[in-house]
Amino acid sequence: MIEVSHISKDFVAPKKYPGLRGAVKGLFSTEKVIKTAVDDISFSIDTGEIVGYIGSNGAGKSTTIKMMTGILVPTKGTCTVAGINPSRNRKENAQNIGVVFGQRTQLWWDLPLSESFTILKEIYNVSDAEYAGQMEFLNRVLELQDFFDRPVRTLSLGQRMRADLGAALLHNPKVLYLDEPTIGLDLVVKDNIRKAIREINEKYRTTVILTTHDIGDIEELCSRIMIIDEGRKIYDGSLADLKDTYGTRRKVSMEVKQPEKAKGLRLHEILGVQETACSMSFSPENSMLCVTFDKHRLQVPQILSAVMAVVEVKDVQIQETELAEIVKEIYNHGVGGKA
Amino acid sequence: MRKRLRIYLPFAANELKRQLAYKGAFYLFILVNLFGSFISYYLWMAIYGSSEKAVIGGLTQKEMVVYVFMVYVTASIVTASISTMVSDDVVKGTVAMNLIKPIDYRLSLIAMASGNMAYRFLVPSVFIWIGLEIYKIKVLGLAPVTVMGIFLYLTSCIMSFLIYVLFDFCFGMLAFFTTYIFGMRMAKDALLSFLTGQLIPISFFPAAMQRVFDFLPFSSMVYTPVMIYLGKYTGETLAFMMLRQAAWVVLLYVAGSLIWRQVTKRLIVLGG
Repeated sequence: MIEVSHISKDFVAPKKYPGLRGAVKGLFSTEKVIKTAVDDISFSIDTGEIVGYIGSNGAGKSTTIKMMTGILVPTKGTCTVAGINPSRNRKENAQNIGVVFGQRTQLWWDLPLSESFTILKEIYNVSDAEYAGQMEFLNRVLELQDFFDRPVRTLSLGQRMRADLGAALLHNPKVLYLDEPTIGLDLVVKDNIRKAIREINEKYRTTVILTTHDIGDIEELCSRIMIIDEGRKIYDGSLADLKDTYGTRRKVSMEVKQPEKAKGLRLHEILGVQETACSMSFSPENSMLCVTFDKHRLQVPQILSAVMAVVEVKDVQIQETELAEIVKEIYNHGVGGKA
Repeated sequence: MRKRLRIYLPFAANELKRQLAYKGAFYLFILVNLFGSFISYYLWMAIYGSSEKAVIGGLTQKEMVVYVFMVYVTASIVTASISTMVSDDVVKGTVAMNLIKPIDYRLSLIAMASGNMAYRFLVPSVFIWIGLEIYKIKVLGLAPVTVMGIFLYLTSCIMSFLIYVLFDFCFGMLAFFTTYIFGMRMAKDALLSFLTGQLIPISFFPAAMQRVFDFLPFSSMVYTPVMIYLGKYTGETLAFMMLRQAAWVVLLYVAGSLIWRQVTKRLIVLGG
């Protein structure tokens, strides 16, 4: 459905100098700075996939989306969406896609929502029958009828986001781009939006590309994720694989009876592994002993028996590394060559 | 064509509705502009009063009264600014929202401008025009405008509108390079009030300058329809003037398309 090969985007900006003198200097300088927002990214996405596209702020996510929607022309490389080159045939491509930019609205600010939908119906050339059918579906999953007659500017953020998603889906696009669709929403609305996205994907086999900072979105929706950092793709694969590859650390928290004994414990020596494979920390206030370990090297029972040999344990909690932790680690260190 | 109309008509209708929503600001705008017209009216009366000639720059004192107010009527219909919308779209990054839809950005802007034009035509202009026509017949004792005159004037006005809007689109494209064009817009407005004949009829300029103006689109924006209304152009001259307007419409349309193609290549969307 989507083929992206070796796509790059450079932004050229006049060089800025610091301070007031710099501002004056900037008036006469013709020096340019080239910033590469997206650097040689390739991927292909099949029909019906929901792909999470994640990366830290400024990593180049939105730029990639903008190139796929035809708003920006790539500096290098090509991209085809449903067989159409978006930057060359922007209008044809626009007929096939639906876009939600979470921070913006595509609705007409001063008009009632119903009018925005009427205009979109004309723009996308949706027939009356299709319109009625699609509206029924959208009303069911997004509950637009509650605020359908109100001007868009009076809608709450959650309502507006639902309306925006509805507007992007009115013409039943083949591809749906969602750029942070759950930004700033409360848990209930987030849940509804996710449910709607899933339902649309199941019903129409709509291909969905989603950028987000909300790990919940990814865990609940995406079968595949791509991570991008500083314009380069650093991971592309399934969520389970990512967890397997990077989520090797598990954590066991134990509440102990004799804090003074636990403090002096040197667990990695007892178990005969390096400190990186098994590190511990102790917080005296609540007598909690936390052990973080490599799940390929050690097993939970080993740790428990080693600790219990020394101190008496009252309570045990075992935690899997959360996706958020993995992603944070990737952003911080960059996994470069490994992926 | 009908499909196009169905797509772009809502943009025009929207703009009309939006104008109605912010009408307070608009009335103030009318008042300030009309105030300007009265200033230039008194100024011209003083000039004619102290002049020994009855006809200056080809216009009699009575014709000058009509000129001053018809310029106001024409300019308020014709000069529907779209560069403001372009620069807004660029600064706020909303241009992206227009580009994700299967619509032509320029056509949607022109549709919005025509909604604006319709509103301005209905709300102040047509009443001032009727008022002026009554004043012209009762007080100045001039012959009323003919039906043909009205028809020619309105046709010329529509072309003027297209020339202005297409030019303003090209001008608005500057926003993509400089982001902010408020200062340049002020300069443009000041320059245009001269070049279009809003401030001083073009026939008052030295002959050499008038020759230069012949090669610029600005006199076709306001001066031409007002002169047509005054009945200053007849026969071949009239045909030539209207053809020249039509030529400018085509030329500026093509220029706008070329500029837009370049602009979209180096487009940068601001903010996220």
